Amino acid sequence: MVAILAQVAVSGILLGGVYALISIGLTLIFGVLRVINFAHGEFLMIAMYASFWLFSLYGLDPYGSIVLVVALLFVVGLIIQFLVIRPILNASASMQIAATVGLSILLQNLALVTMTANYRSVDTPLSKAVVSAGPLLLGVSRLVAFLVALAITGLLFLFLQRTYIGKAIRCTAQDRTAALLMGINIDRVYLVTFAIGSALVGVAGALLTPLYPVFPTVGTYFVLVAFVVVVLGGLGNLTGALLGGFIIGLVEAFSGFYVPELKEAVYFVVFIVVLLIRPTGLFGVVGAEEVGLK
Amino acid sequence: MSATTRSEGSMFSAYRFIPHGSLHALAGLAVVAAVLAFTVKDKFFLHVLIMMLLYASISSAWNIVGGFAGQLSLGHAAFFGIGAYTSTLLFIDLGISPWFGMVIGGALATLVSGAIGYPSFRLRGPFFTLVTIAFAEVVRLLTLYAQGLTRGSIGISVPFRPAVGNFIFRQHSAYACVALAFLVLTVLVGLWIQNSRLGYYLAAIREDEDAAQALGIDAARYKLVAVLISAFLTALGGTFYAQYIFYIEPFQTFSLDFSVLLAMMAIIGGLGTVWGPVAGAFLVTPLQEALQAKLGGELQGLHLVVYGTVLIVVVILLPQGIVPSLAAWGKRMFGQREARPAASPKGGA
Repeated sequence: MVAILAQVAVSGILLGGVYALISIGLTLIFGVLRVINFAHGEFLMIAMYASFWLFSLYGLDPYGSIVLVVALLFVVGLIIQFLVIRPILNASASMQIAATVGLSILLQNLALVTMTANYRSVDTPLSKAVVSAGPLLLGVSRLVAFLVALAITGLLFLFLQRTYIGKAIRCTAQDRTAALLMGINIDRVYLVTFAIGSALVGVAGALLTPLYPVFPTVGTYFVLVAFVVVVLGGLGNLTGALLGGFIIGLVEAFSGFYVPELKEAVYFVVFIVVLLIRPTGLFGVVGAEEVGLK
Repeated sequence: MSATTRSEGSMFSAYRFIPHGSLHALAGLAVVAAVLAFTVKDKFFLHVLIMMLLYASISSAWNIVGGFAGQLSLGHAAFFGIGAYTSTLLFIDLGISPWFGMVIGGALATLVSGAIGYPSFRLRGPFFTLVTIAFAEVVRLLTLYAQGLTRGSIGISVPFRPAVGNFIFRQHSAYACVALAFLVLTVLVGLWIQNSRLGYYLAAIREDEDAAQALGIDAARYKLVAVLISAFLTALGGTFYAQYIFYIEPFQTFSLDFSVLLAMMAIIGGLGTVWGPVAGAFLVTPLQEALQAKLGGELQGLHLVVYGTVLIVVVILLPQGIVPSLAAWGKRMFGQREARPAASPKGGA
């Protein structure tokens, strides 16, 4: 029994790594732009399709094509920020949500029209490989996603701490007006932040392709989990997203073990309870939930 | 009614009379729709008319919370589903007339909306929206789980037993009349709220909740009243849907897409105005039905591509929605015709 529970816990943590990876971009964008991107899941979907087509048309392994996918998503982020997000930065929260929901509907159905609703999956030698560590079994693809999530969070941290643009991003997140007064080009910070957030979900998409089939609404499932994760970790809090990912991964693994039919309901209930009791999330700063709504 | 003093009186007392122009417009709309309901013989057009009236009603119901109170709910599918499932299960399992079941469903949705609304109205902006999404998901998952009661993912078919008492009609025009009555009801409720104290409180909360609180408006209480009314009316729409379509299942009935659709119609037409959701639904529904019927399975989702694009464009270019923009234009063109200030999204940094 102990061995089974340990296996469930390990699966949960590995799954959490995947969730964390999707959530980091979302939380970064919220922390700086104060916009919740409801189309984040569709960015993931685009990344997964890109990864899939690079594999099936050119035989590129999803891990090999990761740079291309990330570059593509960076550009997608730039374009979307310029066309859709920038005009609504000062609009009310309702309007921001409406615009990104509109974007989500648009991208999802564009995929449906052009790619059909078929599930497509990539079959690489690694996608089903398993390594054993003592009594525990670890899926290689999941392990990779987990390690990359850790590495990406570390790199992002270094980037935000050490580089000029990283400092500018943190500065803008703290206080838009002050940053503007210090001569920071806010417009450019927003553009770069949104593109980086999209590129991060590009990484997630590339790493998920060997694990999950891709279809037009694949983003909806993951984005709901990502919302749960980022709110749990405190919106705008990067380490919070990482920890939140692990917590939700564990919650899902254990509820999947004990009450399989209700595993999704369990984490949504956790989500609602956290929002109602501590809307700033477990690791968020008090008051964060009210910032950026004007 | 108009003699109510400013300092006293319940939130439901009229602050001023409902403008006659709005009542005339509603009467005109009702006459046109009724004439169409009995003259149009083409099944498809009649179906489109019914769906237009139904969506206009539910979107208007959503607008009480989403527009008047400015709380963007994306969980209204839950109330719709509760209405649909309650009346249908009561009808099938206990033989209770859906007319009566509709009221019970509405009451149940009201109860649930209070239970979820009371704690979550503390949250603002995106946080409130996220909680409403999660709430609707939980309701959907529970419906799937409680197979013994709800038949799970198989869904429920409503048996075709036409009778007025069964809320099942042979004639489509009868459905159109019921939908029209529903629309008249929701628009009247909207007009009444807008011109009552409640409406003014809600507008104040929408524009600046802190300022409204500082002026002594109990924001939590009035937002709660708004969601109770909204949930009741939305659930009525659920019953109508079940009785008209004859089939309900959890994935569609409780879907996030449906919640989004309601919000989208109101936003396109004009958030927080009485006529906005009606105009939005009248524009969007024929497009949806026509594209779905024309293209069918071939280019599935094309109408949603159009929706998404329209939604983004409206938010960026006409953030007030179509109705207020037209009203402003009309005012400029024709002088002093009265137009109520619309839900202006908070502008400026």
